Amino acid sequence: MRRYVQTPGPIGEFSELSLRQRAGPLDLVYVSYGLLVVVVVVASYLLGAFGWLPQDPQAMDVGLINAAPFTSGHPLGTDFLGRDLQARLILGIQAYFLPGLLAITISVVGGSILGVLAGYRGGWFDTIITYFDNLLDSFPRLVLILLVIAAFKADIYYVMVVVGITGMPVIANLIAGKIAFLRQKSFIEAAHALGLPAHTVILKHILWLNCRALLVIQATLGMAEAILVETSLSYLGFGVQEPTPSWGNMVQAGANYFLQGNFWPSTAPALAILATILGFQLLGDGLNNLLEGKRRR
Amino acid sequence: MDAPLLAIENLRTYFYSRAKRAFIRSVDGVSLGVTRGETLGIVGESGSGKSVTALSAAGLVTAGPGVISGRIHLNSNGASRNLLDGLEKYARVTEQDGRVVAVEKDERGWRRRSETLMAGVRGKEIAMIFQNPRSALNPYSTIGKQLVETIRLHTNLKRESEARERAIHWLDRVRIDSPRLRFDNFPFGMSGGMCQRAMIAMALSAEPSLLIADEPTTGLDATIQSRIVDLLAELKAETGITTLLISHDISVIQRLSDRIAVMYGGTVVETGRAAEVLAPEAKVRHPYTAALLASIPSAETIRRKSYLQAIEGEVLDTIEVPRGCRFYGRCNRVTEAIRENCAGLEPPLGEVAPGHKVRCWLYPSPGKA
Repeated sequence: MRRYVQTPGPIGEFSELSLRQRAGPLDLVYVSYGLLVVVVVVASYLLGAFGWLPQDPQAMDVGLINAAPFTSGHPLGTDFLGRDLQARLILGIQAYFLPGLLAITISVVGGSILGVLAGYRGGWFDTIITYFDNLLDSFPRLVLILLVIAAFKADIYYVMVVVGITGMPVIANLIAGKIAFLRQKSFIEAAHALGLPAHTVILKHILWLNCRALLVIQATLGMAEAILVETSLSYLGFGVQEPTPSWGNMVQAGANYFLQGNFWPSTAPALAILATILGFQLLGDGLNNLLEGKRRR
Repeated sequence: MDAPLLAIENLRTYFYSRAKRAFIRSVDGVSLGVTRGETLGIVGESGSGKSVTALSAAGLVTAGPGVISGRIHLNSNGASRNLLDGLEKYARVTEQDGRVVAVEKDERGWRRRSETLMAGVRGKEIAMIFQNPRSALNPYSTIGKQLVETIRLHTNLKRESEARERAIHWLDRVRIDSPRLRFDNFPFGMSGGMCQRAMIAMALSAEPSLLIADEPTTGLDATIQSRIVDLLAELKAETGITTLLISHDISVIQRLSDRIAVMYGGTVVETGRAAEVLAPEAKVRHPYTAALLASIPSAETIRRKSYLQAIEGEVLDTIEVPRGCRFYGRCNRVTEAIRENCAGLEPPLGEVAPGHKVRCWLYPSPGKA
């Protein structure tokens, strides 16, 4: 028996295509890969947080410096001090997992508030948010972050607050646009006419029911962004400091030996960065196509 | 006769048009009464202010400056309240030569006060249904959930299961087939007529005193339109709910209304019992009503393939309100005897027969003439 599932379709119109019908084969690949990355990242975070690591990440094996992968006892090899790369890669996730969550929480919550104010109230809120957006756009994000580091201290949480705040306008714009679109349909007005209180309309009918897909997608993309910022900063030496491992400072430390033929100690974390960011980006893209139906058929 | 359920007195609602850089007097001194149990139909061309009158009554005017002044008395549950009580002091209008040149309005203060006055009224006492029902329902929620939400909000059925039973009961009452299955449908999975039925169920589930139906059949297929009209007539017979019906479609108004108000240029030009106002052989009739009725294609005109009779001229934009009758420029019944009056003096809404009032110099009200 064939089962038809109703799901909201492309923006503006609602089709009765099932999720499977609307998805391109590529979207499913994207999303599955992205979900795999998410699972690996979360699992690694938990392993690191509880200290269930295969090796001691700080133990130096002086006899085995810059070892290649598949060396006995070190499946991913060792770095320039002979420390186990696998354990350090897993532990490196600590550097951005919670800070990344903080960044996306700030940008999603702040962006939603600004977006609702702009779209729902309009008027001067809209103007202010446009100016805020332009202001942030005119400023390289990394410079802003370095300014904050210079003014306060090189703490990853400070950096992530900046990343979160600079991520707000994008989400605010998307939500304001969505509300403007929903306004053309009269259901917000109808909800008011039915006597629903404003907070129910905003929180439940606008944000939860109509914007949740958008927010999940933006959160996913925001995570990729946060990892990228963290790794760039650590690479530059402003982020997580040795001996605590982070993928950025691992690439940096390994880079000194790169031209001596020991390319692996910096390539391994670089590949991890690539695979992870790609995973989050593709997950966001795939979800965008599946949930928001941006793909034209 | 007891006090009408809803009495609108001298309501004025203005908007500012950026394109025209002028104030539009969308509703300009409208007085209407809806008696308990009756259906009052408001008819008029687009832009005559009929919808804005209804939105003002429900406190749903969002564009600025919006409602300026007037009184809206709601007499329900033994209490009488003015939904615009104390709101006049928030707005001041400056007029010059029939043009509104400036409106000062403390919109925040106005809104706060209005929300206090409307609390427990909107949705509970006054419910509303709109045109284009498909877009009036949240596309991402099932109709059942949306219905349950209003029921739990407005009735004392707070338990999910009770509200669910009541919701299914209402879906059944608006003649939705197999309501238990439809309960879990999303709006996009249903036809426009079905969505309007769901909307009607949501509006009535709060058991309001007054139902405002703002163009309830607009945006639906012609066959569905008549089904919705049938449904409204049946529900009216079953529940006896007081209705304020707004439509530009005279046939809809004719089928459902007990009394009619004809609006033109932001004012009521004629009001009376439906049978009297729309009677084909009526002698006393506002020229605008006559023109509206003449513009309906009859079986005769269709058979003879003759031209439809349009009303000459354009709808008054109510930016510059003429000193005389608002319909003067388009009126074809001005006689020499009254021309001076028509051009220079706004006619009063004079009573030509008991309960039948016409705003026209052709029919001077007895006693005044």
